[in-house]
Amino acid sequence: MPDAAQELATVRCFLKERLQRDYTTLRGYETERSNVRQLLERTAEGESNSLLLIGPRGAGKTTLINAVLTDLMVKKSFVDNTLIVSLDGNLHTDDRIALKSITVQMCLENVADGKVFGSFAENLAFLLQCLKAGDKKSKSVVFIIEEFDLFCTHHNQTLLYNLFDVSQSAQAPICVIGVTCRLDVIELLEKRVKSRFSHRQVFLFPSSEAFEEYTALFEQLLHIPSNKELKLNSDRVDSLELLKSQVFTFHRNHFDPVEYEFEKKIVENWNKHIAKLIKLPSVLKLLQTLYDFDISEAFLKTFVFRLVAQLKPNEPHITVEQMAALASQYECDDKIELLCGLSVLEICLIIAIKHHSEIYDHDPFNFEIIFARFSKFAKVSSTMQNVERAIVLKAFEHLRIVELIMPLSVGGLGKVQKEFEMHKMALTYGQIQQAVNKYQALPTEVAQWALSSLI
Amino acid sequence: SRLAEGTPRRSIQLSNIVEQRIFKDDDVISTPKRSRAKISHSGEGDEDYTPKKSTQKTPTRSRRASTTTRPAKDSAPLTPSQKLKKIRAGELSPTIEQRLRPVDKSCKSQLQLAREQLHVSIIPKSLPCREKEFDNIYSFLEGKIQDECGGCMYVSGVPGTGKTATVTGVIRTLQHQVAQEKLTQFDFVEINGMRLTEPRQAYVQIYKQLTGKTLSWEHAHTLLEKRFTTPAPRRLTTVLLVDELDILCNRRQDVVYNLLDWPTKSAARLVVITIANTMDLPERLLMGKVTSRLGLTRLTFQPYTHKQLQEIVTARLGGSDAFKGEAVQLVARKVAAVSGDARRALDICRRATEIADMTEQSVATATKCVSILHVQQALAEMIASAKVQAIKNCSRLEQIFLQAVAAEVTRTGVEETTFMGVYTQVETIAAFMGAVVPAPGRALRLCSKLGAERLIICEHSRTDIFQKILLNVSADDIHYALRVEGNN
Repeated sequence: MPDAAQELATVRCFLKERLQRDYTTLRGYETERSNVRQLLERTAEGESNSLLLIGPRGAGKTTLINAVLTDLMVKKSFVDNTLIVSLDGNLHTDDRIALKSITVQMCLENVADGKVFGSFAENLAFLLQCLKAGDKKSKSVVFIIEEFDLFCTHHNQTLLYNLFDVSQSAQAPICVIGVTCRLDVIELLEKRVKSRFSHRQVFLFPSSEAFEEYTALFEQLLHIPSNKELKLNSDRVDSLELLKSQVFTFHRNHFDPVEYEFEKKIVENWNKHIAKLIKLPSVLKLLQTLYDFDISEAFLKTFVFRLVAQLKPNEPHITVEQMAALASQYECDDKIELLCGLSVLEICLIIAIKHHSEIYDHDPFNFEIIFARFSKFAKVSSTMQNVERAIVLKAFEHLRIVELIMPLSVGGLGKVQKEFEMHKMALTYGQIQQAVNKYQALPTEVAQWALSSLI
Repeated sequence: SRLAEGTPRRSIQLSNIVEQRIFKDDDVISTPKRSRAKISHSGEGDEDYTPKKSTQKTPTRSRRASTTTRPAKDSAPLTPSQKLKKIRAGELSPTIEQRLRPVDKSCKSQLQLAREQLHVSIIPKSLPCREKEFDNIYSFLEGKIQDECGGCMYVSGVPGTGKTATVTGVIRTLQHQVAQEKLTQFDFVEINGMRLTEPRQAYVQIYKQLTGKTLSWEHAHTLLEKRFTTPAPRRLTTVLLVDELDILCNRRQDVVYNLLDWPTKSAARLVVITIANTMDLPERLLMGKVTSRLGLTRLTFQPYTHKQLQEIVTARLGGSDAFKGEAVQLVARKVAAVSGDARRALDICRRATEIADMTEQSVATATKCVSILHVQQALAEMIASAKVQAIKNCSRLEQIFLQAVAAEVTRTGVEETTFMGVYTQVETIAAFMGAVVPAPGRALRLCSKLGAERLIICEHSRTDIFQKILLNVSADDIHYALRVEGNN
């Protein structure tokens, strides 16, 4: 049935694209959204403002900004009267780079083809003069500063002081929107910068009390909309074309549902299946474990993406078994996987280290100590008798490279011979025990030795 | 044919074009080159000099123009480097794009008018509650200008107490006096430490405000030195306002020393007013010789009391009754208790008007009024911390992790805990609550997520299970947040 396969491929492609590239759809946060939106509208009318958007990672801070901008791009009065300048603390690592970027994005006089002329001091002076020359008649400038906390580490916080100072004086109308995940970001500001900041803070917290919303979100992420809804959505995306920013690029490669069209029957079938799936108690239980761990939408999206990626022509529907398999991948411990990939000799060393830690209560160890403990076991064991010291040392070094054991001091390299360097173990006893139980074809001797340090 | 611009012959042709254009410019306006030539080579005929220099310079310029491969347009006659020269010479005024449609001024509600009046950028003609300080600075400056001598003054106070506004207000009044010919003329130069990239740029800024030209700091320094140390008849008094003085203090303190040393020269006729936040800055940070030159003419701006803040806000509102009396009082009392920062009070009032605007959509626009409830909401938004809310909105395992850190602190009695200890607590608490115990790797993820929010402070996770963890919220906050939630 090539037709069904084709349809499934379209569905999969649609869902994947929507999960990854839909940068502007925000769910929930009605009050916060209208708050930011009104602030930007008033800025376009000539008021100066500053705002901090704070929330945990993955809570939709950037999406909120993008969504508000998408809303506003429809209005001609906004598009005509504002310049948008976007900065990122990870990219603009000091004020010099940030200032050049601002100058380019504002198209000031000392820019030619994206190249800024003059020194740092000249650029700052020129930017300040330009802003000072402006008044209510000049365009509003919206500064969107992502990773705002990193800007606080810049020398003297010159850029932040100047931006906030402009927003609090009779100059060109600007709006400074800082986006950060740190709750205590205001404490990072110098007191004169803090005084100039208007102390508007918008907090974005995903709600932890509504598991129903989480399941609804799960359904929504897998839901296929009707053609009418698709049309509406693509109209909304079209207005993004007005955003001509060189730096804000989310509009270029945005998810555009205009390319998709589904047959009514297929949509109904799919949605019915999802609705049925969501009612199953086992599915709810799986989602609850995900929800207990991380309530952010970003986390759920990666889960759903992996789920969607498993859709194949011979299994065209999402099943409970698939979900359970995926969820168990989230549950499992990677370090135990790593331990199970070690050789028996390395496992023996780990067990020796564990015995040492148990006896001496987490005291550090070196190769000699562990080798002595291992030799005691190797002498009486039938399989480990003729292992040479050099090979054990190699195994020990391998343990160190995969960071199952860590050197005590980072700086003291070269001082101590490598057999005598002290280490600590980066594993819990529980993990070792689980690995020993899980290890494929572990010699019985070793398994017994792992249980007791007596030989 | 224009594609082959990279070949030398083409570039020579292009350079001719550029050259011609330069000469045309020279005819229209005098370029900085000519005026600079006058300064450095006084006496040399500039008619001969300028063309020679420009022919020397053109090849490099043409090469640059050809690499950008942009044919010179008629609409943009200046190349970027020419533009930069004009900027440096102060001939090109910096501009910002104008808006395409002007703001509609009419039909503003009472709340909108109040909001405009409450904006920090609107500085009233006379600052309320700062009359004494105004008189103090005014008499100091007036005396110095009339006596034609130099001097220094140091103004201090916490941010938002009206230091800069008062000083610029005094200057404005003095300039008004000059316009009415009641006072001799004076120059006014204003620099701000935070607007400079390094302390030495102060020379550049001062020189720029005196002449309009941008030079290197060494050059500006020598010219200023010359200006202030050599006596000249008919020199005007210069008033120099130095804001954020502490930023200008570097280790050598040569900039601050120079700025404060020039007033002592009889030829300078320079009055310096310095502004900073800390009262004891001269004694704490500055060297003895600098402190000595700063003198003892000092003025401290006290933080506003609640009565003064109330007066400031009501003065801004004018006759408008957009605010209820007790609402203003609540703002004034709350802000005065925290910082006495006028900016803060005005921002909170402004936020209150917005809230009133939003919540009372149904009421007719003319009768809208900010009540005490709106102010309370604004205060809660702008002063209260969101840590409790953040803890409430953590996922279940994150909450367990926070509880575990608090429990480990109680167990050991030390603030600093390690991940291993916390993890054993997590295992216990999770088992007790019937939750799935997360593997250490996942617990590390929880830890770094909480660390990113700064609910806890943790090390880089490369130290794995040995990383040290500090609680950044109080244990009481955790108990409060989780217990209140539990009751619901």
